[in-house]
Amino acid sequence: MLHIKPILSSLMRSKSAPILLLLQIILSVAIVANASFIINERLSLMQRESGYAEDQILTFNVYNFDPAIDNMKQNQVDQQILRSLPNVIDASYSNMLPLSDSGWMDRYVDSPDEDAAKSTPGFAFYLGNEHLLNVMGAKLIAGRNFTADEINTSLDDSGMLALVSQPLAKAFWGDESPLGKTVYQGEQAVTIIGVVDKLQGAWVDHENFEYSVIQNIDFGGSSSNKSYMVRALPEHISGLEEVIRKALHAENPNRVVENFQTLTSIKNLTYSNHRLMATVLSIMVVLLLLITALGLTGMVMFNIQRRTKQIGTRRALGANKRDIIQYFMVENYLICIVGGVIGGMLALVLGQQLMSLYSLPMVPVIYPIVSVIGLLVVTTLAVIVPATKAANISPAMATRSV
Amino acid sequence: MFFYYCDLAWRSIRKTPMLSMLMVLAISIGIGITITTLNVYKTMSYNPAGDRSEVINSVQLWSQGLDTWDEFSSSITYIDAMNLRNNSDLGLKAASYRTGLAMQSDDPKIEPVLNSVRVTDRDFFRIFSVPFLYGSYWDASVDLRPAYQVVISQKLNLRFFEGKNSVGKTLFLDRKPYQIVGVIEDWNPQPKYYDPLNGAFNDAEEIFIPFSLTGQEEFDVWGNTSGWKFETMLTYNDRLTSEKVWIQFWTELNTDEQKQSFLGWLTRYAEQQRTIGRFTDTAKTPAELVQISDIDKWLEDNNVVPKDNKILVGLSLLFLSVCLVNILGLLLTKFLKRAPEVGVRRAIGASRGQIFSQYMVEVGMIGFFGGVIGLLWAWGSLAALNAYFSVDQNVTGLDASMWFITPIIAISTAVLAGIYPAWVVCRTKPSVYLKAQ
Repeated sequence: MLHIKPILSSLMRSKSAPILLLLQIILSVAIVANASFIINERLSLMQRESGYAEDQILTFNVYNFDPAIDNMKQNQVDQQILRSLPNVIDASYSNMLPLSDSGWMDRYVDSPDEDAAKSTPGFAFYLGNEHLLNVMGAKLIAGRNFTADEINTSLDDSGMLALVSQPLAKAFWGDESPLGKTVYQGEQAVTIIGVVDKLQGAWVDHENFEYSVIQNIDFGGSSSNKSYMVRALPEHISGLEEVIRKALHAENPNRVVENFQTLTSIKNLTYSNHRLMATVLSIMVVLLLLITALGLTGMVMFNIQRRTKQIGTRRALGANKRDIIQYFMVENYLICIVGGVIGGMLALVLGQQLMSLYSLPMVPVIYPIVSVIGLLVVTTLAVIVPATKAANISPAMATRSV
Repeated sequence: MFFYYCDLAWRSIRKTPMLSMLMVLAISIGIGITITTLNVYKTMSYNPAGDRSEVINSVQLWSQGLDTWDEFSSSITYIDAMNLRNNSDLGLKAASYRTGLAMQSDDPKIEPVLNSVRVTDRDFFRIFSVPFLYGSYWDASVDLRPAYQVVISQKLNLRFFEGKNSVGKTLFLDRKPYQIVGVIEDWNPQPKYYDPLNGAFNDAEEIFIPFSLTGQEEFDVWGNTSGWKFETMLTYNDRLTSEKVWIQFWTELNTDEQKQSFLGWLTRYAEQQRTIGRFTDTAKTPAELVQISDIDKWLEDNNVVPKDNKILVGLSLLFLSVCLVNILGLLLTKFLKRAPEVGVRRAIGASRGQIFSQYMVEVGMIGFFGGVIGLLWAWGSLAALNAYFSVDQNVTGLDASMWFITPIIAISTAVLAGIYPAWVVCRTKPSVYLKAQ
């Protein structure tokens, strides 16, 4: 019914144009499938919930360069000052900034005996006081937060407590509750007192990104260079920078207060490579489809011109306009489907290459399939215009010169 | 003849403006994307060491224990750095790491600024051929007996000393007076090959101070510190005596003999360290515990070119090939349409070669236009990368070589696409078309 046989034999007679079309479709499917897979991967990475009140957190660095400064005391005073500022909800020292691509990583073991101990997966290691959880906006789902009198100032103190993120708890203890469990860092015992729903680490591409721990140490007294996090409503954030700088300099001018960043901007920066990749590839896919569609339209137009007589003859012999349009559509679909199948296989081969060369995940088969379908739509649009034009050729015009 | 063909080509292009524009557009987009990704790749994979690439070597040691890390770390421990510094066998050698110090001027109104600082040995300047404007690096004795001396950049010299020779003057870092011994000319190698570990496209430091000050000044480390076992780090001395790695070590080795003999020394050093209870990974022989990397290997090992970039270059080349196939189709279309004209020309004496070269000139012209527009695309997209994404400015400048590479790629792409259509058309039999006239 679809006249596949005559279409095929006419395709076989002038091979070069259909072969070019086929080649173009094969390459396009291979590129579009792989590109859209990578795009989708990156987008889903970026859409993960971080667990933080991202738009409410302002971070900055304080560098006390006067050797006379007692860092331990200064750290306490500074946090008091920060918390008492207008519009500030809460403030805390932190040894590392979430999502920032740099920070501390550590692991616990489940026994003080080094040889028998089993190690937890590596996790982002936040050190902070009882305010940190509130500043982060993280949700405690079991157990409790630290209290003010439980806060240590050195890694060597006793009475270590920890909050762990739920993914970490799941990974190490399974369905068992980690609350009350004791783990070790060298000989140092740490008791787990709380589980936090979500608490991402610093390295967005790390497989242990969702594994985090907060330990009850305010480490801000240990060094002259430290970072703080302040939480405030988004509308107050922009005004805070000046206020904080002034307040800290008024208390003690011998320091540099700099590097103000919201957590949102830190996150954007850390993900910028992924966003870039997704954008560039999306542009590539759109342009590719555009070029393919334009090229196809051009070629079909030419084919039609060449076959004007044939079309006229068919029309004169009783074919109606629908038949003519159908003829070109079927021809197009034949090429598309053959090209799609080969292109799909090429896409998987290409995906395999990318996987082995750059340890990317394998392209799922759905991507080539969707790419072929997308291409079918584009080529339909590209063919339908010239085909309709062809169908409008009057038989008399077309056959005149025979 | 060539100019006549150019004239013919230009006329032919103008006769089918839509089709020609389509082809130029297709080539230019393909070229634009390819040149953009190629440009970023090229700048990232540039080796700033040039001829000295093989001479400059980083030292890596497998100081970790059994079942810890999978690869050599790019940094070494303070203990190893000190032992290597004290090895008199080596020619030029320099330990190095990054810190930050607050710099102050005499003007109390100016807020102090925090600057990143490179802590290193005097040989650093010679190994990396750092050019001096005034003065020089500090004396060899300073590497052994610490002194508060500093080398600063031309830019800082301009800001604090109005560009005059400031050698001998004093600069305050963290409220301590440092004596300026040298001012270097603008020096900002990209990638920052002497320390790609923390941002390979960061700007170079502008303040250099002696490594020998480390112990007494207890500088913060602004860079990666990695450890493979639990060690309490309460004091700075804990850091210095720990197995944590955080220092890059560089040496100049001019010949293969020097490399071999140094590797031999390193192996003996590893053996000796093992006898005192370090280098505890018994799965490796002493010779496997040591490694030197020249700059090429070093840049490769430190993944200076992100894998994303390589993928993009590959995909954009594939993209270009789609454009090529596309143009091939369009050219075939266009040329075959002109077959009657060719028939006439052949009949009145044009040879096949003439027809072929005429069409190739036309194709080349299309390629050239495509290339020019493609270069504009690339230029625009690099500017966009710079403006809308936090891509380091150092990698988004259009590389000078692109001015040559672009037309070559563009014209050869077009010519490649044009060969087959031109060949088909020049084989046209005159008789067929003459009959139809």
